[in-house]
Amino acid sequence: MNILLVMIPLSILLLIGAGIAFFWAVDHDQFDDLDTPRLLPLLDDPDAIDAESAEEPPREAPPP
Amino acid sequence: MSSAARGCWHCGESLPGAEAPQARVAGTTHAVCCEGCRAAAEWIDQLGLADYYRLRSAPASRAPESSEASRTSAAWARPGLERHVVRELDSDRREAMLLVEGLRCSACVWLIERALGALPGVLHVQVNAAARRARITWTAPCSLPRILEALLRAGYRPLPLDAAALDDSRRREQRTALKQLVVAGFGAMQAMMYASGLYFGVFDGIDATARELLRWLGLLVATPVVFYSARPFFAGALRSLRARRLGMDVPVAIAIALIYAASVYEAFHGGAEVYFDSVGMFVFFLLTGRYLEMRARHRAGDLTDALARLTPAFADRVRADGTLERVGAIELAAGDVVLIAAGGGVPADGALESERCRVDEALVSGESAPVSKRRGAPLIAGSVLVEGPVEMRVERVGADTVLAGILALVTRAAIERPRLAAAGERAAAGFVARVLTLAALTAIGWSFADPSRAFTATLAVLVVSCPCAFALAVPAAITRALGVLARHGVLVVRPDAIEGLASATHIVFDKTGTLTDRLALERIDTIGSLDRAQALLLAGALARGSRHPASMAIANAIDDDQALPAVEDARTEASGGIEGRVEGRILRLGRADFALGCDTIPAEYADAVLLADATGSIAAFRLSEQLRAEARATVAALVADGLTPEIASGDDAGKVAAAAARLGIAHWKARLRPADKLARLAALRAAGARVIAVGDGINDAPVLAGADVSVALASGTELAQAASDIVLSGDLGALAEARATARQTLAILRQNQRWALVYNLSVVPLGALGFVPPWLAALGMSASSLFVVLNALRIGRREERSDTPAALTAQAVA
Repeated sequence: MNILLVMIPLSILLLIGAGIAFFWAVDHDQFDDLDTPRLLPLLDDPDAIDAESAEEPPREAPPP
Repeated sequence: MSSAARGCWHCGESLPGAEAPQARVAGTTHAVCCEGCRAAAEWIDQLGLADYYRLRSAPASRAPESSEASRTSAAWARPGLERHVVRELDSDRREAMLLVEGLRCSACVWLIERALGALPGVLHVQVNAAARRARITWTAPCSLPRILEALLRAGYRPLPLDAAALDDSRRREQRTALKQLVVAGFGAMQAMMYASGLYFGVFDGIDATARELLRWLGLLVATPVVFYSARPFFAGALRSLRARRLGMDVPVAIAIALIYAASVYEAFHGGAEVYFDSVGMFVFFLLTGRYLEMRARHRAGDLTDALARLTPAFADRVRADGTLERVGAIELAAGDVVLIAAGGGVPADGALESERCRVDEALVSGESAPVSKRRGAPLIAGSVLVEGPVEMRVERVGADTVLAGILALVTRAAIERPRLAAAGERAAAGFVARVLTLAALTAIGWSFADPSRAFTATLAVLVVSCPCAFALAVPAAITRALGVLARHGVLVVRPDAIEGLASATHIVFDKTGTLTDRLALERIDTIGSLDRAQALLLAGALARGSRHPASMAIANAIDDDQALPAVEDARTEASGGIEGRVEGRILRLGRADFALGCDTIPAEYADAVLLADATGSIAAFRLSEQLRAEARATVAALVADGLTPEIASGDDAGKVAAAAARLGIAHWKARLRPADKLARLAALRAAGARVIAVGDGINDAPVLAGADVSVALASGTELAQAASDIVLSGDLGALAEARATARQTLAILRQNQRWALVYNLSVVPLGALGFVPPWLAALGMSASSLFVVLNALRIGRREERSDTPAALTAQAVA
């Protein structure tokens, strides 16, 4: 049963890690908008669009 | 998208006729309704964002003309105003919160983020579709007016909110709730894993050290659940104890604290059982219910946003020398003269200085037909000028306006609302008090008889009778009902509304906008030689260019692919009608006195729309408000369900009576102002009735806030939604279904409570006498909670079989 002494602390560490990652994600706006991101994969590559619209000034990449 | 094929490509509204402006988007030309929409569509295309039209699920709002756009955005550059709405993050970074009108679907969020992100200097754009708010951070080359102009060009109406809105309490609340929920979920899962090790150990034998280890681990994972995730329950319990009443949070907090304390004690003293897994699951389940409830509440909007949306932010003040200056509406003072353009909002209460005008006062009266005003007549802040421009002398501003008064009425009614005493809450609280007494008696009794068994027996009483089943009986049923109702397009904002919905005896409807949706052509009386179809074509040709509700009703009566005769020299007469040359002769469409060009008119045409030429009248068009398609079936279903329907409207008696007759509603009241409606409601309630109020307008808001249960239509105004308990996102038909679900919920809720009572009555005496070993107590506690949850899942299963009239209408309409 000594394996428990390794596995359980490991699972606790993973749990804490997951918790920290989740808190970070919530604090960095990842869960504020759950509607828009699902649309993004449907779009053309934004860089390709930039190249086409030559009249516009160069754009910064939109913030994540 | 059928609407896009027929109407404006950008906003979906009807096209002005053959000479509609054309917008070039992604290489194809599309007809649009106005220059503003053309500019918006082409600008969106130029930015390479034409994908928006593919992604959106609702048409955009009509775009303003570009000159208006730059004028509005420039006005926000006034230093005095900018100080109110912009916050300086550090020396060069600025932040502002905008309320974005016209934001309708996720594609709008995408468009706004891209369009603003393209502006040089914009650092961060974050748009929340549910709250219709955008938070924008920018630096030097950019400025607030430029951001506003970009949004206006894309066809949205941005409204900078006060800088205090940046502190966004909702966002904080939502984030905290999400974190607490996830911590509880993680903790409960882990505690369950360790507990299953312990359970197997009971049967198969477990090494004492391993057992100790698993217990300490359980303590480790359950501690954050109790001290972090369960905080809202402790806070709530403390609040209600301070207010000297026993709320639902009290038994929940006591249960959590007791189980946790007992388990910690057991873990330290090597006692028989620990219950860390139970406490984790308990907290997790209750938090899930709360989280769903909070999301529904946030989606329903709030009062401050509604107020910002209703009044214009700016006014054009007339200087002494006759020139105009654009100032913020908050800068106005009594005595100022302001110019209001046609279609513009009235910025403050005042008196009309110009000769005459027509305003849409739906805000106060709730009725859609514009009202004519003459010099000196009062204008009300927030109403919309249909014809203008006019000058107005400001009399009252800010908190003194009628609009602010209505808002105050809403707030007061909401505070004075007698909260429905949740039956379950009182039962649970009383039960907790009795269990605690019983536990104390057990402890005292055993300490005399056999002190060594006192603790185990007391613990068994506490655990076996755990208020969990009681505490879960209500939230489990309510959470399930919330989910079922949301699937039907019924958004429950305040969960205790479910009980009110089930136990109500009366239902009071507003008429305009709630039971009816728009004006429609009812009948055509021809007077001359033309037949009805020909008269309709001529009238339609004139009406198509106008946005007046009556014109739109006539234009809508004609098929979209029908060719209309061309109109030349079209001219709109304020509060009269439209004149134009069709097929070589001058025609007039409008009020009888305008169409005939004389003041003496036949009485039978007084309320009709008349089409006339130089020789006399051609046809009379009778318009009537059209009842919503599902209104009749809904009212019938509600009556069958035992409710007494009633109409309380601000409209004329004749129209209300007609609508009531067609719906089969015996009781109705007409010409009521918001305060009268509130009084009517109070009278009903004083007579012992429990009242559901259904409305959609701003004038309904006080009524909604004062009813036992209030229902607002999602197509209605923001304020009405903010004041209501339930928001119908679909049509009225969902209401009958909601009532049925509410009744079922209440029935299951009672069943759950009875079960919990029976269970407790049968096992508590055994526990007190020391017959229940702790592991059996834990099993009984879990089983009783499980029963309650499974029983709650039955809510909503009935509807798959039922074919009530309301369900059929809902299907037919959908």
